[in-house]
Amino acid sequence: MLGGWIDNYTQSVLIFTGINIIAAYSFFAPFKTGQVSLGQAGFMAVGAYASAVLTQKFGFPFIVSLPVAGLFAGIVGVMVGFPALRIRGVYLLLLTLGFAEIVQVIVLSWDYVGGAQGYRNIPFNPNTLGYVAVVIIALIVFFGRLERASLGRAMDSIHQDETAAEAMGIDVVRIKLFAFGAGAVIAGIAGGLYAHQATYIDSTTFNVMLAVEILTYVVVGGGSTYWGPLAGATVLTLLPEFLRTLREWLELVPVAWTDFFPMNRIYDFLYGFLDFENAKRLIVYGLILILMMIVRPDGLVTRDSLMRLHFLRWTARHA
Amino acid sequence: MLERPVTNKTCLAVEKLTKRFGAVYALNDVSFDVTAGHIHALIGPNGAGKTTFFNLVTGALPADDGRIVFEGEEISDRRPFRRTLKGIARTFQNIRLFPHLSALETVMIGEHCRSYGSIWQALTSAVLHKPFNEAREERRMRENALELLEFFGLAGKHHTKASDLPYGDQRRLEMARALATQPRLLLLDEPAAGMNPHETVELDELIIRLRDRGITIILVEHDMRLVMDISDRITVLNFGTKIADGAPDDIQKNPTVIEAYLGEDVPL
Repeated sequence: MLGGWIDNYTQSVLIFTGINIIAAYSFFAPFKTGQVSLGQAGFMAVGAYASAVLTQKFGFPFIVSLPVAGLFAGIVGVMVGFPALRIRGVYLLLLTLGFAEIVQVIVLSWDYVGGAQGYRNIPFNPNTLGYVAVVIIALIVFFGRLERASLGRAMDSIHQDETAAEAMGIDVVRIKLFAFGAGAVIAGIAGGLYAHQATYIDSTTFNVMLAVEILTYVVVGGGSTYWGPLAGATVLTLLPEFLRTLREWLELVPVAWTDFFPMNRIYDFLYGFLDFENAKRLIVYGLILILMMIVRPDGLVTRDSLMRLHFLRWTARHA
Repeated sequence: MLERPVTNKTCLAVEKLTKRFGAVYALNDVSFDVTAGHIHALIGPNGAGKTTFFNLVTGALPADDGRIVFEGEEISDRRPFRRTLKGIARTFQNIRLFPHLSALETVMIGEHCRSYGSIWQALTSAVLHKPFNEAREERRMRENALELLEFFGLAGKHHTKASDLPYGDQRRLEMARALATQPRLLLLDEPAAGMNPHETVELDELIIRLRDRGITIILVEHDMRLVMDISDRITVLNFGTKIADGAPDDIQKNPTVIEAYLGEDVPL
């Protein structure tokens, strides 16, 4: 579709950025009601395997298998969400983590979906970029509307004080369950998109590290407004690309400037550091997370900053 | 001002209400009726079980024993939000506002349960209304909320974050939020706590105006002047047990009550 005017490499970077954005929104939905889930990678796995089975073993077209995979992940999500309703904080974190581990063990030991060898030969979808774009636009519209509506406010109030929200007549249980289920649907769709782009998935594709990365996107981007997940996932996914460019710039530095101690050591260190591999990426994520917690704990985009931005326009319209 | 409705209808009846925390009885076999249209004060020394009583009536805590009957219907087993829908609203002793919501949004949270019957209604209204066109329901909610804020003297502060408001305003905002749920019974947990004398006098009038709107009020308060001035009836708790129940004048003369308050610096 777009393959004509952007090269394959750029296209694949854009697709994985997009899938990460969708995954970030899947974390954002339950987070809006105060539920912190480390199970989003598990729901992605459910969606990915469901879509792979539907297309490869039953011959469904991708346009059908993707929403069905999302729906299936959503049903699983509601089933996990029920026990998750009663618990909070670190215990919820552990419950969702446990769920993700169970999913991993099931796909690892179930030969029907490839078992330890992984699921091979998933039909490749040439239009993933288009699908990703449509899903992201739909999510932005959905969460944008939610934020301006009574239901979104009710979700925020649950996040901030569950007891008070319930005392104000808000059906906390149902809204939390809805948010958890919606998050699972979105994660399932992200998983489905991933499966047909990568064409190979196994039990380690959707591991705990992925869940932590998804969490990092929202923490760095900001969880108080729907722009946060978009900003966080984009910045963190494209960061290695930026740093790679930085490395190319570093090569332009004249040798004479760095040919003496200690500049040569610093140069070598930076040059090596910017050679971005998986392990180093995680170190950088960790550093960014620590830095964010210190300088901007509410994330890059916060509700307060947006409110300041829109304040004059807003008051003019509504006062 | 509205003519005060004179009825003898019972708004809330509690029968043999009991709540234990381990071996301690926070409430023990407490029974009394609250007449519709009354300001009914609930007083007692610290730890007498007043806030526990509120938590049981609103459903924040389950009762161990006893019945709670609201307008002739038993509500003992209902979830807290169902009781709010029935018409019971409360404020909290230690203010529990939503810190990141503005005053206006806070009041609109109270209106949510009256505007949308179910989450599906709220969801379809949120997602399906015309693009870039504000839903009619939202506008109605905001107008109501602005009216309530004005009633509670918070006009002009509707865009201030709840946590940035001064203490007295936060107390009044809690009352506005509770009132937005359209209650027929309002439970006020120490509304005068932390207010200056001037604000307390205003609070007197405010509570009386609420009663004149036809709202029954149960008031937990340590400010005895406020309690004696505006209450129609007073129930006294001590160590979870009801020790007296009557008109303000009778309570002031009641020897058991005076004994319970001995040693406490509270002028009766």
